[in-house]
Amino acid sequence: MAANSILESFLTNQGYALFEHTGNGLFRPIGEYPKWCEKLWKGALAKDKSIRLAEASPLLENFLIDAEGFWNSNREGSANSPIWSERDSAGHETQLEAAALHLDGKNVLLLRNLSSTFAERQKLYQAARDSLLEHERLLREIQKKEILLHCIIHDLSQPLTAMRGCFSLMGLEDLTADLRRMVETGQRESNRQEQMIRGILQAFSADLAGQETNADAAFGAADIAACAQRAVQEFSPAFTEKGIRLLVDPSVDLTRDWTVVGDDSRLDRILGNLLENALRYSPKGTSVMIGLEDRGKAVLAFVDDQGPGLPKDQTPDKLFALFAKGSDKPGKAGLGLYFCKITVERWGGSIGAETKPKGGTRFWFRLSRTTKPARITGKSESSKGQATSGDAPKISAASSRPHLEQPAKRLRILVAEDTNENRELVSELLKKRGHTVVGVADGRQAIDALAKDPFDLVLMDEQMPVMDGLEATRAIRRGEKSTGRHQVIVALTGNVTDEDKEQRIAAGMDGFVPKPFEMNALFDTVEFLATAGNQVIGAKPAAGALRPSTATERAAASLELVAPIQDVAAHLRRTTGDNEKLIQTLTKSFLSDAPKRLSAIRSAIAAKDPGKLDTAAHAFKGSLGIFGALKAVSAARALEAMGRARNLNGADAEFSALESEFKSLERQLVAMRPRKKAQAKRSRSGRRK
Amino acid sequence: MIAKKICMLGTNAVGKTSLVQRFVHTHFSDSYITNIGVMIEKKVVHANNKDVELVLWDIYGEDSFQKVQLSYLRGMSGYFLVVDGTRLHTLDDALALNERVSGTAGKVPALLVINKVDLAPQWEIGPDHQAKLAESGWEIFLTSAKTGEKVEDAFARLTMKMLGA
Repeated sequence: MAANSILESFLTNQGYALFEHTGNGLFRPIGEYPKWCEKLWKGALAKDKSIRLAEASPLLENFLIDAEGFWNSNREGSANSPIWSERDSAGHETQLEAAALHLDGKNVLLLRNLSSTFAERQKLYQAARDSLLEHERLLREIQKKEILLHCIIHDLSQPLTAMRGCFSLMGLEDLTADLRRMVETGQRESNRQEQMIRGILQAFSADLAGQETNADAAFGAADIAACAQRAVQEFSPAFTEKGIRLLVDPSVDLTRDWTVVGDDSRLDRILGNLLENALRYSPKGTSVMIGLEDRGKAVLAFVDDQGPGLPKDQTPDKLFALFAKGSDKPGKAGLGLYFCKITVERWGGSIGAETKPKGGTRFWFRLSRTTKPARITGKSESSKGQATSGDAPKISAASSRPHLEQPAKRLRILVAEDTNENRELVSELLKKRGHTVVGVADGRQAIDALAKDPFDLVLMDEQMPVMDGLEATRAIRRGEKSTGRHQVIVALTGNVTDEDKEQRIAAGMDGFVPKPFEMNALFDTVEFLATAGNQVIGAKPAAGALRPSTATERAAASLELVAPIQDVAAHLRRTTGDNEKLIQTLTKSFLSDAPKRLSAIRSAIAAKDPGKLDTAAHAFKGSLGIFGALKAVSAARALEAMGRARNLNGADAEFSALESEFKSLERQLVAMRPRKKAQAKRSRSGRRK
Repeated sequence: MIAKKICMLGTNAVGKTSLVQRFVHTHFSDSYITNIGVMIEKKVVHANNKDVELVLWDIYGEDSFQKVQLSYLRGMSGYFLVVDGTRLHTLDDALALNERVSGTAGKVPALLVINKVDLAPQWEIGPDHQAKLAESGWEIFLTSAKTGEKVEDAFARLTMKMLGA
């Protein structure tokens, strides 16, 4: 008895109440009658202290049906209710739990008052659900920002297309030296703006998606000394206006190789962000200096200012965080230093900031050296030498008119673009180049135009009214299933994400020209794809076939994965309209000139003359393109890039590859000629018989 | 007096408790306090010329932490399927829950309540979704427990449906 009494007291103390089900809906308390039951369900109590629990609570009324089922079964364990709340006459809430049990041959109902533990349980659920809601909210925020980012990029890119096209057209006119310098400044700045837009898109979309290093970054190389000089040149006016001197550290030997992992355009932006930051915090009459230090396998770059130094509470983590802003002189959006951090880290480098012992702040970043040649960014390269804010911008051949080469083949091109300005601009550029152009305003009109007349290539805007470019391409590809033909279709688009590319591939496009485009990139891509694109007859281009075609080398490279040319003769017949005489002339001329062109490249490499290598490789690349020799074009393109980058590391290997590919092409071309001679010979001997 | 049991069903943080509190006590709290059990509230309304006691079972939101036990729905005369207009997935979750409910409870009067209309600019459940839901037979109320918008109307409409009026 004593033990039972202790047990009952313990259960009561823990908030439990035990009832025996005595039938007819009545429950008799086992042990002490809990006061909280009395408080909650006074009205349901019988005189003998039994209670009709089904009348006491709607939830118990429901649960007792389950409990009856349990008591009438031989099941072990218990039937349990959910937690529920009961409110007493004073409005106080009590949380309860119920369980039906078999105990000592009796049907027992256990009620538990959870008052002592409920708050703890609820706290756990609350924390878990709050975290889930926060996670959902963050995901939505990220999605919104990505959408916003893409909209901004698209809207910013559109007018740039027209601006750059106009500059290109103006550049073809006979201009005074002053006007040409202005046009070139416009071109350079619009190029810079485009690269910044693309850089933001690539950096942030990759970061937000949690993606790792992209191919460009993995294989990129940049001349950090040239970037530093460009930065000084570009930022000098702003610094001069504030009475601050901007310079590259005079002790840096700029004639040395300062090539690091990265790419020029983003490295420009990193330096630009650091300089903008220094400009905000530097007092008048001070200097800001960009320095470079050789750290063996890495280069340490830094921007030193003579400002107040970092605030004491500002740790590098906070400084480079997303949307971080200074407290007293905040920047624009808090994105600049974050961009620097994610970009440098994506290249495998590190970045930091510190207050210098003698005052001022040093922002630094460290990047690994690379032996790969620095890539071309389309910017005018600064001449090697010390740059300071006093240097005048160097404009090469300011008054000379750009030479517009005639294409190897005049093409019939259909331009489908709904924006009048862009359509006219693209058409005008292509016409000036010597091509025949027909313009239409949507995908439906493009399909109708193709039904009436043949075209070598369609330049197709993606977003158009009535029928968009992707839908029109799908319709054209469906139609080709019965004809076996392959219309070369090149997207003209401001959408350059991987997802956009996949959509283009799925629709059946052969390549794309990103808007805003460079004039030469447009020509190179169009002319290359018009002659080589037909090789993909009946085959869906492989993933990765579509790449940005911002320069000749990319246009050639983009086709490598599409279709290696298997049959030079078939390619030539197709591209010349089966003009045997023309093929013979081209072949003869090529075979005669090619050894000289190869020799010029060999000599340029031996003489370590990047300028001559650039010119010779460019010329040979054009000839190879006529024959669709894509691997050879790729090698020539690499050599051309080395020449432009003034870095001939690896040129010998590329030349060997070029020579080998050329020999393969030569064998095919020579094989075409003897066969004809042999046929002619057989024919003549047949006549003699 | 007739009593009618109404269950509030949906995933967590869609506003089930807030709708009940708004309807019964004309009260709204901006802070989110999760419900981990069942809270039963009652309110007498006059409908179709009679007094009806609505017994409102405010059931915890179903999510990965807690599944709704369908035995609580026993004796239910009608239910609200509540979703949060600003979170599209709450609609998918609610429709999945509804499959289970209709499989157990059979054909019971129900309304789809898309709550938080005061945050309409942030809604992910747009007119297209609503049109499809209406096509599939749902009677929809766009409510705000915060402002009280359409809350009374929704309860009145469900009451009428339960009375077969």
